[in-house]
Amino acid sequence: MVSVGTVVWLSSELMFFAALFAMYFTLRAASPELWANETAKLNVPFALVNTIILVSSSFSCQLGVFRAEDLQPRRLGGLLNFRKWGMVEWFIVTFILGAIFVSVQAYEYTELVHHGVSLSSNPYGSAFYITTGFHGLHVAGGLVAFVLIIGRAFVAKKFGHFEATSAIVVSYYWHFVDVVWIALFAIIYFLK
Amino acid sequence: MKVETGLFLILAIFFLPVFIVYGIMTDWDEWVGIIALALAMGLGLMIGFYLYTTSKRVGQRPEDRVDGEIHENAGVIGRFAPWSWWPFVLGLAAAIGFLGIAVGFWITYIGVGLVIIALIGWVYEYSRGDHAH
Repeated sequence: MVSVGTVVWLSSELMFFAALFAMYFTLRAASPELWANETAKLNVPFALVNTIILVSSSFSCQLGVFRAEDLQPRRLGGLLNFRKWGMVEWFIVTFILGAIFVSVQAYEYTELVHHGVSLSSNPYGSAFYITTGFHGLHVAGGLVAFVLIIGRAFVAKKFGHFEATSAIVVSYYWHFVDVVWIALFAIIYFLK
Repeated sequence: MKVETGLFLILAIFFLPVFIVYGIMTDWDEWVGIIALALAMGLGLMIGFYLYTTSKRVGQRPEDRVDGEIHENAGVIGRFAPWSWWPFVLGLAAAIGFLGIAVGFWITYIGVGLVIIALIGWVYEYSRGDHAH
């Protein structure tokens, strides 16, 4: 039941991002020269590395979900024995990767502001920061969700389906945010 | 769950030709509509695909069969809170936070603090106290 609700909500989130894409392309169609000038300031290789970090966090998240489905919250072996890791360890890795993504994005923002691209500088700035910024907020929200889920695993004496279900729906959300970023990345950094 | 799956997949099936025709008529150069239609297709696909894989997993439910009986659906459906004050607290905290944006920003900080309390209270309501397990 929880997962059905999550998927329906995520589909509505998809339309939310559709509106942001619509905004981006409307502004782009209105001022093509501005787009040509401003997109030249983007650091594509830097963003590509960041994208790879976010995509890899999706993989670690899924490995954590497999452990949650086995109802195994904590690791059974040593800290470096990845095969014996539980849900908590994989989710901590996911959290760290997600946190790196947001931090690198914040750094990228400061770089762009130094190059004169800001939220209020011109339509391109607005479109860039609103689309990537809303995505960044979603990632930050996902990080909060991961902390709460890890907390639940620690609080529970007996890790059951109640804990596993919430872990699984958070992973749905995380994969969704990841896919949206791939689309955003393709549009903003490659299609321009 | 054939009916539910079909209801959402039909949306995707409808938007696929709409998307292609729109693309051809605008020479694939009008991205606002192209992306909006493609994502509308994604909306149907997402829910439809989820229901499809779930129906593969759970098989035929009593409500999918003509001879299904009400009593066959007895048992645990999920875990639901019988009542909870936390959503109310969270709503109130969010209202205070947004009030701060309109009136004075210092109020927003109070709202953020209350949001954190409400969120943790809600998420851990059935993990602590009498419900600790």
